[in-house]
Amino acid sequence: MQLTHEDEIEALLARLADGDRSVFSLVFKRLWVPMNRFCLSMLKHEADAADAAQQAMTKIFERASDYDPKRPAMPWALAIAAWECRTLQRKRFRRRESPEDAADEPADERAEANLICRDLTEAALTAMSELPEADRETLLATFLDEATSASGATLRKRRERALDRLRTSFRRLYGLD
Amino acid sequence: MDSTEVANLKRRVRLHYELGRAKRALLGLAPVVVLAGPAAIFGRHPSATGAFGAAAFVVGAAMLWYGRDPQRAVLPGVLAGFVPLVLALCSSRMHGCVGTNCMMTCVPVCSVGGLVAGLAVASIGNQRRAGVVFWLSASTLALLTGAMGCACVGYSGVAGLAVGFAAGVVPGLLRRAFTHGAA
Repeated sequence: MQLTHEDEIEALLARLADGDRSVFSLVFKRLWVPMNRFCLSMLKHEADAADAAQQAMTKIFERASDYDPKRPAMPWALAIAAWECRTLQRKRFRRRESPEDAADEPADERAEANLICRDLTEAALTAMSELPEADRETLLATFLDEATSASGATLRKRRERALDRLRTSFRRLYGLD
Repeated sequence: MDSTEVANLKRRVRLHYELGRAKRALLGLAPVVVLAGPAAIFGRHPSATGAFGAAAFVVGAAMLWYGRDPQRAVLPGVLAGFVPLVLALCSSRMHGCVGTNCMMTCVPVCSVGGLVAGLAVASIGNQRRAGVVFWLSASTLALLTGAMGCACVGYSGVAGLAVGFAAGVVPGLLRRAFTHGAA
């Protein structure tokens, strides 16, 4: 009878848990590709996925001795990988929020981002200056979340019209949306 | 990732695998430390008890870390050795007196405890149809655990334990050898 891929990994992990080091390379080989693929599907970022997959492999093998052969191997390994992906995501999120960590980013990258942001703001203001007064008011009120003279469906329609005109103006000035 | 990076990762993962096993082994042998404490307090020779306790801990941890048959022999070995240990600790302050002559009961008690431990190891070894490595590992750990208590009258207690253990385990071992040979 031929073993399925899952059965094979279960059998190999059970042997590794028992201390059979001869299967180490084989287990590594069988798990590395699925872990990498799984992390990439979760994080959608190649470098982050590689980091998470490496971390997951380290944890899986560190806990290999605790693996219970009665439990399916792949869900066990993927649960560890999913945890590592979430941990990495949380770390990245905190880094973006923390100003000290933001200071660690390369100065060139931050300067470039600031320049792009400033150029876009200037371009948006120039395009807005071409709009009628009422449209400008509607868009500013929407952006600043302020109350306007209109409300409900009337406000929605005014906002849509103002955005259409802003888009047209932007396209005319810069040739893009 | 290129092949060098994968090779580096593999080395790192292997190290973590071994470290994980070592951590688990040290935790798994914690009960031996718990046994060695009272044995050193109640025993007459705390240094000898401590030395046998340390040896039992190191050997047991190495067996758990290695895995396979030695790992499976840890629990039977420690449990079998627990019998002479407890018997020896209970008898370490008792005397058997006949008329005006008194003798310590430690040595005979250790021999009896060793016999029970040997029979227990032989029984489990035969039941599991275990290999030589299992028998050797379980016997070593049982003797070291028992010796923590049997050091009560110095090395004669340990010798008594070893003789009793051999008397208990050898028939079972021979039986195993013959049935294995016949099969």
